[in-house]
Amino acid sequence: MTASASPTIRLTIDGMEITVPKGTLVIEAARRVGVMIPHFCYHPKLKPDANCRMCLVEIEKMPKLQTSCSTIATDGMSVRTATSVVNDAHKSVLEFILANHPLDCPVCDQGGKCDLQDFSHEYTATGSRFLETKRIFQKEYFSPLIETQMNRCVQCLRCVRYCDEVMDVKALAPSGRGTMTEIKAFGSHPLDCEFCGGCVQICPVGAITSRLSMYEYRPWMLKRADTICQYCGDGCQITVQTKDNELVEVNSSYGAGRNNGDLCARGFFGFHATSRPDRLTKPLVRRNGVLVEATWEEALEYTAEQIARLKRLHGAQAFGGLMSSRCTNEDLYLFQKFMRVVIGTNNLDSSARYGHLNGVQAMRRIQGTHRWTVTFEDIVEADVLLLVGTSITETNPVTGLRVKEAVKKHMARLLTIELMQPGIDSISNITNLADHHVGVPTAQFGNALIGLLKAVMEGGHVAPSVQKESPDYVTALSQLLERLAWTELEAATGSSPDSFKQMAAAIAKSHRFIVLTGQDLLRSVGGYNACLQLLDLLLLTGKSTEPGCGFAPLAEENNDQGAVELGAVSELLPGALDLASSEARAKIGRAWNTDIPSTPGATLTDMIERARTGHLKAMFVIGENPVGTLPSHLGTREACQSLELLICQELFMTETAALAHVVFPAAAPLEKAGTWTNEEGHVQAIRPAVEPAGDSRPDWEILSALALLLGTPMEYNDSKDLLKEIRSVIPGYGLLGPSPTPQKVDRGAVDRYVSGGYRDDLSTRYTLAPRGPHPHGGDWSMHLTQSLFHSGKLSTRSKGLLEIESRDAIRMNRADGTRLALADGDRVRLSNSRGEMTTSVKLVERVPQGTVWFPDHFAQEATKLFDLTIDPATKVPAFRTTSVTITKIA
Amino acid sequence: MGQHEPILLKNMSHPGYTGSLADYERTGGYQAVKKVMGKVSPAEVTQLVIKSGLRGRGGAGFPTGVKWGFLPKDYQGLRYLCCNADESEPGTFKDRQLIERDPHQILEGIVLACYAIAAETAYIYIRGEFVLGARILEKAIGEARRAGYIGKNILGTGVTVDIWVHRGAGAYICGEETALLESLEGKRGLPRVKPPFPATHGLYNKPTVVNNVETLANLPHIINRGPEWFAAIGSPPKSTGTRIFCVSGHVKRPGNYEVPMGITFRELIYEHAGGMRSEKPLKAFIPGGASAPFLTPDHLDVKMDFESVAAAGSMLGSGGVTVMEEGTSMVWAALRLMEFFYHESCGKCSPCREGSSWLVQTMRRIVNKRGRAQDLETLTDLCKNIAGRTVCAFGDAEVAPIMSTLKHWRPEYIALIHEAEAANLLRPQPVGARG
Amino acid sequence: MLRDKYQEEIDEILSRYPVRRSALIPLLYLAQREHGYITEASMTEIASLLKLTPPQVYETATFYTMLNLKQVGKFHIQVCKSLMCALVGSDTVVAWIKSKLGIGPGETTADGVFTLTLVECLAACGTGPMMQINDDYYECLTEDKFDRIVADLTATGSSALKSGPFMWPEPLAMKSERPIG
Ligand SMILES: Cc1cc2nc3c(=O)[nH]c(=O)nc-3n(C[C@H](O)[C@H](O)[C@H](O)COP(=O)(O)O)c2cc1C
Ligand code: SF4
Ligand code: FES
Repeated sequence: MTASASPTIRLTIDGMEITVPKGTLVIEAARRVGVMIPHFCYHPKLKPDANCRMCLVEIEKMPKLQTSCSTIATDGMSVRTATSVVNDAHKSVLEFILANHPLDCPVCDQGGKCDLQDFSHEYTATGSRFLETKRIFQKEYFSPLIETQMNRCVQCLRCVRYCDEVMDVKALAPSGRGTMTEIKAFGSHPLDCEFCGGCVQICPVGAITSRLSMYEYRPWMLKRADTICQYCGDGCQITVQTKDNELVEVNSSYGAGRNNGDLCARGFFGFHATSRPDRLTKPLVRRNGVLVEATWEEALEYTAEQIARLKRLHGAQAFGGLMSSRCTNEDLYLFQKFMRVVIGTNNLDSSARYGHLNGVQAMRRIQGTHRWTVTFEDIVEADVLLLVGTSITETNPVTGLRVKEAVKKHMARLLTIELMQPGIDSISNITNLADHHVGVPTAQFGNALIGLLKAVMEGGHVAPSVQKESPDYVTALSQLLERLAWTELEAATGSSPDSFKQMAAAIAKSHRFIVLTGQDLLRSVGGYNACLQLLDLLLLTGKSTEPGCGFAPLAEENNDQGAVELGAVSELLPGALDLASSEARAKIGRAWNTDIPSTPGATLTDMIERARTGHLKAMFVIGENPVGTLPSHLGTREACQSLELLICQELFMTETAALAHVVFPAAAPLEKAGTWTNEEGHVQAIRPAVEPAGDSRPDWEILSALALLLGTPMEYNDSKDLLKEIRSVIPGYGLLGPSPTPQKVDRGAVDRYVSGGYRDDLSTRYTLAPRGPHPHGGDWSMHLTQSLFHSGKLSTRSKGLLEIESRDAIRMNRADGTRLALADGDRVRLSNSRGEMTTSVKLVERVPQGTVWFPDHFAQEATKLFDLTIDPATKVPAFRTTSVTITKIA
Repeated sequence: MGQHEPILLKNMSHPGYTGSLADYERTGGYQAVKKVMGKVSPAEVTQLVIKSGLRGRGGAGFPTGVKWGFLPKDYQGLRYLCCNADESEPGTFKDRQLIERDPHQILEGIVLACYAIAAETAYIYIRGEFVLGARILEKAIGEARRAGYIGKNILGTGVTVDIWVHRGAGAYICGEETALLESLEGKRGLPRVKPPFPATHGLYNKPTVVNNVETLANLPHIINRGPEWFAAIGSPPKSTGTRIFCVSGHVKRPGNYEVPMGITFRELIYEHAGGMRSEKPLKAFIPGGASAPFLTPDHLDVKMDFESVAAAGSMLGSGGVTVMEEGTSMVWAALRLMEFFYHESCGKCSPCREGSSWLVQTMRRIVNKRGRAQDLETLTDLCKNIAGRTVCAFGDAEVAPIMSTLKHWRPEYIALIHEAEAANLLRPQPVGARG
Repeated sequence: MLRDKYQEEIDEILSRYPVRRSALIPLLYLAQREHGYITEASMTEIASLLKLTPPQVYETATFYTMLNLKQVGKFHIQVCKSLMCALVGSDTVVAWIKSKLGIGPGETTADGVFTLTLVECLAACGTGPMMQINDDYYECLTEDKFDRIVADLTATGSSALKSGPFMWPEPLAMKSERPIG
């Protein structure tokens, strides 16, 4: 299995000997000795198709020239890539390819980065011999974001193959045949797909280009910055291209970053989110009830005075802080240090509270880690993958590609317990690839997991070593599970015992088993319990400590993981150390030369409650918008209004910032340096691509300036300086290597868990959650879910993404739509005992009948219809489900 | 030579033979199935076929038993047989007759081949235009199924063979075996890059054999009468058995003639097909379908077996012999075939896709008297640059007409180009066109 | 919806193949039989029957010449223009059609009854010139025979002059049946 054991072969290329792994293609072997064989249709990500015939080479003992992109190197093979016969062949194939090509390079956006242009220069093909009429395709409108110029197409089908093999979307159709083969969208509709930009990136010529950056530039005019995408926790590397401080386009390169050249719509088309005219560019201070512009000095001094005054009056516990997990590690680190040291309180939180903490706390409890024990590479190599509540394509699309790769290329078995059901829509559906699928609504994931664990127990799939070493744990669990009858489980999950039994059997047989979970589970009621159950599953089947096996909670926001690791939540200190532990407090205190307050901190919802009741007087909110995010019945707006001091650091005038006393303009991710930690725990550098908008500044600089004014200086030259301090507090943090350093399961923690730690809440964990009738009337159950085209609310300010999805629309099953006589785009009223609102509908296959999904990025108004439940252990607020009545508005 | 009894066309030549199961059984039908099923091992059946020397009748002439032998021996999963009834090579119309007149002969061949390669499912990929043929086959399959020759547990031997008719929908390239498989999988009929070969990765990625209709129709006779009998017919050792030659063009009696391999073209054209239709003598003929290079009267005494025709610079191909009389323009004839190839290029490979459009346009210009002196060199170059550089043999086929007519009738091309040049001199030049 | 009308036939087609996508061409034929051509709605429906995306259905449908994505006449006349038929007069057949029906290749008569298409070899090279009208072959065409076929089709919707099971040259004993000529 390991790379060292894989057999190799020797061959010569143009006389040079080289040893390569068995199965290497000749074109790849040649590249290793520095020989670039010209090609169009070959791409390392795709299965060989050998259609362009450009890469012909001579191979000893073969009478005909062979395509090096499809020929596997064999032992003793002798390849020649530069003989006159080969050169002739290259020249002639190029002549064919150029025959119908319009040679409109001067007006082509690909000019300067076009393979065809490059190879033509190299072979100076005599294109002029073609005296006939060139093929002309009628220009058709392709899509709002992607432009086609099919006359330029060389029919290598890389776009079509990428869309199928890598994305599993299959949105592109080569239509017609022969020279008239044209890449089209289906029928008379414009292209409707995942808009991953893959076809734009993979087209070797200018046939498919991005409309966001048409006719604006030539590649050599652009400045590049390699950085990381600001949206989800996958942490894709992107190359941002700018011209005169304007964002022009985003690319990714094969072989670079965790994404290896793949992106999703958000990464590829979402880069304009922060370059809008409505960015905050000047500090604002509330005077006579209105926010007015101020200088940085005025605003900072005013803020410092107010903080000092309120601290004097009400003490440190009257303060609270909240920060977005989209901020850098350096920002988050300094934020929590500011709250703990300058203010002196643990009342602080970050967006990791919205769900990520459920996964982290479960891992900390059962296996003593706060990070994945596996990597993306392990996902690709897994033989069985279990996805629970991930909506992976929508939420973490690029991790989703690793899952697709494992299934489609390496024949991994895929088990899914998801909200969605199999069905074909214009974007890919991971459950279509599943060997076994169980569909359950939000908040029932736990029920399904109980079914799975019961099947593991009853199928005799508990690992003998676990059975032997932890008999009490196994017995306690199996007794609980025995009490639950299959009939009850079937009723609670809507799935037959067989599905669970088959899943359990597949897991038992696996060697490399990975459990992925995501926002649908992490952000819903019982999310923490379900994570514990998943870890129980890994423990019982003996997989938790096996190499290549593990639990991998996906992160919604790009730096959820960093927020936890840097201590930007009330209960954790940097290094994800327990605030409750005096040892941990002492350790961090030593590093900071101060005492860490020991009073437990208030979490997000506690702070709001305390503000509402007048106990909390001041809040520092950085990049977060609780007023726009939390259900209105929590009273967040009232809470904010009753504060004596609300300080916001923001990019835009959000609902929360509008209530603030001071608003500092913050620099956006594409404008600053620092690091982010992706969901794998991989720390990656971000680099500024453009100058900060107006007078905006990085968050840490603002905090640093305030600290100075408040008499507790925290000064740093730059973000690197801050990272250095972080490394002294968390040894080795963020060594910025090419791949992550997964944690190892802590045997001690596991022992503590199996020898008694499991007991506390075991029986509550293994009871079935009620599969209730609809709590608020109405016969539709409604879930808040994610859309692929947005991430949080940030992306709803990106012009590219707004082209694809610009407003709220509930997703409803096509059959339900037919039943209610609803068509795409029709308006409906949603109502329940909490209130009502109007929206429109979008009909899809993946939503189970009787259910509707509301995209949470546009849910400001809809949240009022949802219930809010706070997890007693992790304090994660869940507001993902409710019930409504739907009526068509004529 | 020439005095022979037809094998494949024998039954249907009897007055009143309808091709029904009853008729077929009356003439010894399904005896071969009874003879081998459960009595002779599949490996032995393959050996018999190897011994008979039977070679594929679809065009490439690959030894049939040897092809079967390439299937993985110890593979436990499913295997498939595909009967290639795409018959799209211009000049070829023999499979159509076998299908419409004696379908059970083919079905019996399929059952035998399936038995030999342990395939439980066979698909007959029939060109979409053969609507009547598809109906006849379906009816015959129904009869055979009811009689227990097809289906589960054939004749109580425990052997299963299911046969389905699958209609193509208009694409010559789907006769190419890997394009056929793609098409049968519901995709565009683009040939696959080989290796891997269908023998290991065929239909649905399973080991698969593709055989032509005529190839399969020979099997019952080989089993019934023994490989030695078959191997003695024709031009042994390499071209055994008969072939159905399809004669078309300027002859008196066009049609299908089943003769032992090894007779001469002269014999086929002048004796069987009745000679030329008028006093005009023979000018050219295509010996094996549109993909085979043209031959001249000098080649009339070439023997019609695989090796002799190859030695004459052409190929026996699919058995379609097209005869052209004096007065036929060879440039025009080559253009007609080039138009066919242009229309049918699947578009996968750049040389074939772009080359065919280039060639057809240049040829049209020459025929329309708008040729240029340098065109002949371009044509030659293009043809050379296509051949041998494509995924499938279509690339080699499409250049055959132009290459061979250029070789034998070059003066006709030159004359057309001269005419064009002369016309150009006379044609008034539009004002401004000179500057 | 095809499903409402042809559920049984669809099930039978699906039962022939271990992989659903193989049923694609047969189902496209079904759709063409139903509407005369393949509509966008039927492609979408077939996609969902086969668990494919509509573009996957579309790309296959556009590859094959017998699948019409546009309306054609009630009688679709397809004349073979390949070399073998051309040697024995297919070009003159096209000229007759033009003079009789007033349509050239790719055109449909104003009343929508006849469409003329030129096609490549239909495997009837020994019996050219020939044409296919809808499902049937008509071979050894003469001007007179063509007229009679058109008259038959216009009057009754079918013609006895269509080819039966093919055998050529005709066996002497069967001459009387005249399957083709
Ligand atoms: C372009 C092309 C078209 C072909 N068309 C046909 C055809 O219509 N019928 C056929 O039997 N074989 C055809 N063949 C040959 C097949 O690829 C294959 O060799 C044959 O079906 C094998 O059967 P056999 O071994 O019985 O001849 C074609 C090959 C090529 C390259
Ligand atoms: S040679 Fe022509 S027909 Fe064959 S695969 Fe290539 S493009 Fe298609
Ligand atoms: S790169 Fe090898 S054929 Fe295209």
